[in-house]
Amino acid sequence: MNGAHRLAQIPAGVQCFVGEEARRRRRIEQTAIGVFEGWDYEEIIPPLFDYADVFTGESLSARTYSFVGRDGSVLALRPDFTSLLAKIAAGRLRDRPAPIRLYYSGEVVRYEPPKAGRQSELFQMGLEHLGGDPRAADAEILTIAAECLDRLKVSGFVLTLGHVGVFTGLLEGSDLEPARLEDLRDRVEAKDAQGIRRALAGADLSQDASSGLERLATLAGGPEVLDEAAEVVGGCPAAADAVNELRTVSEALDRAGLGSRLAVDLGEVRGLDYYTGIVFRVFAPGLGFEVGGGGRYDTLLARFGRPLPAVGFMLGLDRVALLLARQKGEPLPARAPAEAVTALDLGSALAEARAKRAKGARVRFGSEGDR
Amino acid sequence: MSLTVALSKGKLFSGTQELFRRAGLPFPDGETRRLVVSLGELRFLFVKDKDVPTYVEYGVADCGIAGRDVLLEAGSDVFEPLDLGFGRCRLVVARPAGSAPATDGASTVRVATKYPKVATGHFLSRGMSVEVVSLAGSVEIAPGLGLADCIVDVVETGRTLKENGLVEVEDVALSSARLVVNRASFHAQRAEVSRLVETLERTLR
Repeated sequence: MNGAHRLAQIPAGVQCFVGEEARRRRRIEQTAIGVFEGWDYEEIIPPLFDYADVFTGESLSARTYSFVGRDGSVLALRPDFTSLLAKIAAGRLRDRPAPIRLYYSGEVVRYEPPKAGRQSELFQMGLEHLGGDPRAADAEILTIAAECLDRLKVSGFVLTLGHVGVFTGLLEGSDLEPARLEDLRDRVEAKDAQGIRRALAGADLSQDASSGLERLATLAGGPEVLDEAAEVVGGCPAAADAVNELRTVSEALDRAGLGSRLAVDLGEVRGLDYYTGIVFRVFAPGLGFEVGGGGRYDTLLARFGRPLPAVGFMLGLDRVALLLARQKGEPLPARAPAEAVTALDLGSALAEARAKRAKGARVRFGSEGDR
Repeated sequence: MSLTVALSKGKLFSGTQELFRRAGLPFPDGETRRLVVSLGELRFLFVKDKDVPTYVEYGVADCGIAGRDVLLEAGSDVFEPLDLGFGRCRLVVARPAGSAPATDGASTVRVATKYPKVATGHFLSRGMSVEVVSLAGSVEIAPGLGLADCIVDVVETGRTLKENGLVEVEDVALSSARLVVNRASFHAQRAEVSRLVETLERTLR
């Protein structure tokens, strides 16, 4: 490729924001941070890169930009914040008593096929609640998520709640080979009841478990789905426990006035190697994919030597910005006009500009002939 | 609020028309050249069959009707709540009649196909290396011309394969028409989506 052409070009997957667009993004970020601070979370600014093996699991390693450091160690640009925060909470903050509440806001980098709201460089705002009473933490995180969306003036948003324990509980004691398990997971995720039946054909599973798995395709809707779910998984204690956890959290949120924002989706079975409990996503009219989500991951911190249960939530700033643009809500407030300061004499012009700045005015400094 | 449905005028059109008619749902006249047609509570988009999953995944359409073969190739993240039963076909590996099976012969299989992703996955999962020649159509002539050793393509009756001197050697997947639904629409417009899914499901019973 010709060098001059390359210099003008921008690599695929990265973005550049100027002026009003940048202001919109900062405003979204400040709104979210305001909510995180309001719930007494502390900011953490983790490193931009770390050893590559910090970021394993959740098929992240395949999407990581990694490189070799000067000392030969394999490093990676952060593809997410959660692993880094878990490492820091287990290491540097190991003497800090649980629960630990942390929030972050910044870019992550992943190899992604370019799609709407899915560049290689993503801006994430989120928080992690480490330790503490798990049900209280789950409910707190969901409440904070709802407050963020309210304050961002996202209309019609829905928090869809699932629990990976329903799926794993129904499969407890079974011994499906990995390819079949992946096929089954994929069909549950697609809500394809016939596909689930085909994936289970000939598998050594109890009748209760098979019919329960098939029902996962249709166990989605309002919170009343949990009643139906309790009947479906009644014969399977681990799955019934999961449904009970969901019920505890959903009833608490309902009593707190968030009932109309909740939906249940028991076919939500992504990230099974990572999530261990409640999982949720945020959807809103105007955007075909989620604007954020999160869930409980009780085994990650043990990897770093401090077994603590944990739950987290993340909003994608790029997606929030896209959603708000599509929903055409409130316009961005205009900036106060700048006062022009020009004078023939440079020294006196600077003095005048400084005096105006000291009073808090916005100034545009220039010489005569500037516009 | 109304629902937007993405459809193609390809091979699934008549089956879709028939299903909607039986379900008592509005459906555009097949003669229309308009690409966006609103009828009552439904808005229809006519797009290329391979683009249906894209429109639905991005949420430009809330629902769509697409073949499982197309969905497998697209790998889109959409819900597939209903197998609509029509448009049945199979994705198969076919090779020239009398040629040796690929599994123990050449180290690399050269395969011509309109389904590069499905074909690659199929051979790699069997531990074979594969060179995919991606074509837009007339895939059946590729082996005879020396462009590939075999093809991965859909068959309904098998006649095209036979007339081009090919025989099926392996099934890759079964396909039929599916109702697909966008994830966000499923939850954010639950009432409308459920009504459509239930109406179609009742009709299929």
